[in-house]
Amino acid sequence: MTHAALFRFEWAAARRGRIVPWFAAGFALAAVGVALAGLSAGGVVRVQGFARTSVSLLQLTLWTVPMLALLLGAVQGAECQELEFLAALPAPRSRLVFGRWAAWTLALTAALVTGFGAAGLVIGTLAGAADALRYLALIGIAAALLAAGLALGLWIGVAARSRARAVGVAVAVWFALVIGADLVGIALLAALPARDATWGLTALLIANPVDAARALGLGLFGADVVAGPTGAALRRLLGGQGAVLLAAALVTWIIVPLRLAGRRFARQDL
Amino acid sequence: MNAGPSGIELVGVAKRFGERPALAPLTLTVAPGEVVALIGPNGAGKSTTLRILAGVIHASAGVARIAGWDVAAEPLRARLHLGYLPQRLGVPLSTVVGDLARLVAAARGVPAEAGAQALADAGLGDRLDAPLAQMSGGQRQRVLLALATLGPIQALILDEPSISLDVEGAEDVRDAIRAARRRGAAVLFASHHLSDVAQLADRIGVMVDGHIVACGTVSELAHTAGIPWSERPAEPLIERVYRALVRGPVRAFDTPLRVVRGGAA
Repeated sequence: MTHAALFRFEWAAARRGRIVPWFAAGFALAAVGVALAGLSAGGVVRVQGFARTSVSLLQLTLWTVPMLALLLGAVQGAECQELEFLAALPAPRSRLVFGRWAAWTLALTAALVTGFGAAGLVIGTLAGAADALRYLALIGIAAALLAAGLALGLWIGVAARSRARAVGVAVAVWFALVIGADLVGIALLAALPARDATWGLTALLIANPVDAARALGLGLFGADVVAGPTGAALRRLLGGQGAVLLAAALVTWIIVPLRLAGRRFARQDL
Repeated sequence: MNAGPSGIELVGVAKRFGERPALAPLTLTVAPGEVVALIGPNGAGKSTTLRILAGVIHASAGVARIAGWDVAAEPLRARLHLGYLPQRLGVPLSTVVGDLARLVAAARGVPAEAGAQALADAGLGDRLDAPLAQMSGGQRQRVLLALATLGPIQALILDEPSISLDVEGAEDVRDAIRAARRRGAAVLFASHHLSDVAQLADRIGVMVDGHIVACGTVSELAHTAGIPWSERPAEPLIERVYRALVRGPVRAFDTPLRVVRGGAA
């Protein structure tokens, strides 16, 4: 059986789910909300431009997108245990996992593009099109993080074998990636000499898809300008090849968990 | 490697779940065009046996073959010739019937229209756009049965196919099994419905505690159980045989004559 047949099957299921329009609306509201809230402290309600909106939205994206992707992936992965009829069809089991990942990645990316795109139209109309490419880059980074989170969630779900356990592990992993890694970074800075801490932080950036996306985002937006000394330090740390390294790390975070999920699903009893 | 058109074969197949043995090494062959029923109490190992053949779980020892293909070594070739109806639904409830039909048709290498036609033949031609969630348990079972028998399958494995079905649905299942037999497929099914077993099975395997304690025709089983054989009706006789073999002390039948515990059936 071709990948295409399984993808079409999973895509039809993902497309029919009510989850996609809700996420599109959520992304749109979040983007417009961030664009409006950025300047409201000055006493006026005005839409801020793409550059500031993108940087503000990046932080929100780094928290919400991994949570969404990990939870959804974990539930979808756990559901694979129940696909006895499909698993007995003449197709490698790993393709079931891959088809599921591809369909949900596409569906949620469509929601992301629709939501952020609608908000982008509002921002562009009211605040001008300057730095729109940075906003598009943010969407790309969010989509990559989404794909990595779904792959990781699928692996968790396939390995956990029950929905409740899968969701519990996914929440713990989200906490570790979004908050735990930062705490480790702070501890490294405090405990190690500056030279060793630099290497440690670089390793942390690559070892954590959320931090890789964060660093990639800050780099693309001109980190030293929009993120102050932190951003400047980040740019120094990563050097010229930093973006390539981070993008490669994100892609690795898609491929490796996906392969592990497929291999695990192929070998285990349903 | 393909050993020829041999229907369904289990050779010394055993299964352990952790430390717990679920299936003793068992050997069973279902020839092309033959129908064999597995009966026995819950937990006897019927579903485990069928799920190993379907490739859904992996045997701890032994070899299972479908149409001559080892389900562990050549799973795709084996499954290409296999129709499998699991006891549980086995697909998401949100699945739309037409989408599932297209997927199964693609998997079996037949035109998508063949899937729709199979559903139409099962009286479900008007439900292609319906999600399984909006169908009764019986309708879902008919959908899966129609699609399980799609394409040139050489083996059909059904786990409690009549469960939760009304009289008409149960007759559909029996018709599907008869049709598969006419097409030369080897059919192995597990059932608690002894009427199905009486009407369909050429041979019956009685399972207890992971063993096939006896396997043969109704008359052979009756002989094994020491019950006088009469041609008709078969169902009460099977019930008596079942009670004698399953509820009686299994060792009482552990004679070289018919009992196949751990041996060939």
